[in-house]
Amino acid sequence: MRGLFFPLLCGLIFVLLQTTILPRFLPAEMRPNLLLILVIYLGLSESFLRAAFLTLLLGALQDVFCGSTFGLYAAVQLAVFLLIRLFSDRLNVESRRLLLGLIAAGTILQTVLLGFLLTTFAEAGPVLWILLSALPAQILFNLLTGWLLLFFLLRFQPLLGNRQGMAGLPYQSKHHGA
Amino acid sequence: MRDFLKRHQIPLLIILLVLVVGLVYSVNLRKKTTTTLFERAVLTLTEPLQGQIDRSGAGINGLWSNYLWLVDTRKQNLVTMRSNRELRAQLLAVKEVALENQRLKKLLDFVEADPRKVLPALVVAEDASSWARTIIIDKGLRHGVREGEPVVVAEGVVGRVIKVAANSSRVLLVTDASSSIAGLVQRTRTRGVVRGNGRELTLEFALRNDPVEEDDLVMTSGMGGVFPKGLVVGRVAAVERNEFGLFQQIVLAPVVDFSRLEEVLVLMDSAE
Repeated sequence: MRGLFFPLLCGLIFVLLQTTILPRFLPAEMRPNLLLILVIYLGLSESFLRAAFLTLLLGALQDVFCGSTFGLYAAVQLAVFLLIRLFSDRLNVESRRLLLGLIAAGTILQTVLLGFLLTTFAEAGPVLWILLSALPAQILFNLLTGWLLLFFLLRFQPLLGNRQGMAGLPYQSKHHGA
Repeated sequence: MRDFLKRHQIPLLIILLVLVVGLVYSVNLRKKTTTTLFERAVLTLTEPLQGQIDRSGAGINGLWSNYLWLVDTRKQNLVTMRSNRELRAQLLAVKEVALENQRLKKLLDFVEADPRKVLPALVVAEDASSWARTIIIDKGLRHGVREGEPVVVAEGVVGRVIKVAANSSRVLLVTDASSSIAGLVQRTRTRGVVRGNGRELTLEFALRNDPVEEDDLVMTSGMGGVFPKGLVVGRVAAVERNEFGLFQQIVLAPVVDFSRLEEVLVLMDSAE
């Protein structure tokens, strides 16, 4: 239960940050996608069932505060999670550089998927142009935020306990969520 | 059968999940202005938090722009600043009240000019993505707000309500890529469709031969039934006419500063 509650609480805090605090200081394209970073992290660290369930819930949570169609982010985050999960068995998930690389790849993948779904099904006008023009800043700020979050996570690692297979945290076993 | 399910547990789960989200997305594509139970619950639960964080954020923002950002000036004027600090803080508070007063007065002028019932609301949050342009206001079902109602400020059109919860609503801004409003150029009466492109607006389907010029004002035409006629949408920033083709390309600058939205008015349905 704690394993579900803590990521959901993090998701809620992240979404509140993204909608209230960050808009005061940063323009839209420079705001990091904190929920995407959380989904990537969960995809690498948690067991498949738990991570899939959490991804769906976090996607739905993001849908409440993004765009106009409910279900869009649930679908996109699930696709990002599944693709990351597909390759994670072959990757050294404890590498911090790899986690940052996956955040960059996840940002690109999310942009492509959003662009595809919005232009194909939703007739959302010039949304592809908006997404692509914001992509470089999005990658940069997502990476910066991912690095910052990892920095704090490492600082608080003793408090979180040395659970196996936590993404980006070194010197641990590589079994996802065991 | 049980063995089959057990052996292919993960692939079957993936297929099920993909089908579920695909179904949810496709169903909601047709009901963009319908608020689901999940959305209503999350919006209702988060509204007090967002309101509180927004108010605290305003304080932090004030601290940042009024004190931290002036670090060089502060060094130069350290002695003067020390003696004036208390007076400055008081002055800031007075200024804030004066600005609020000014804004509310402007809004009241607008209310008098519009015969519809209007509901003032505070902006408490913005969209959580980099591409969509929506805001969350602190008024909802309990205050009589309904999906589809237009939202304005004294300067012009802000957007329309797309989702409503008990105490909060989400508003799709006119600058969002999926927003479109029937508009007309005030001077030439040229009709078109105003669409958002993230930052600016474009007036589409305006006939090429109509003499639209820079700085012309574009208003809502009243067609479509969402926005009343005569609300200012934007000002023509650039006009491009090709040698061929039926229409001209017109770029509009929004009259509303969306980065500084604090108070808005919901134009409520007179039948409510």
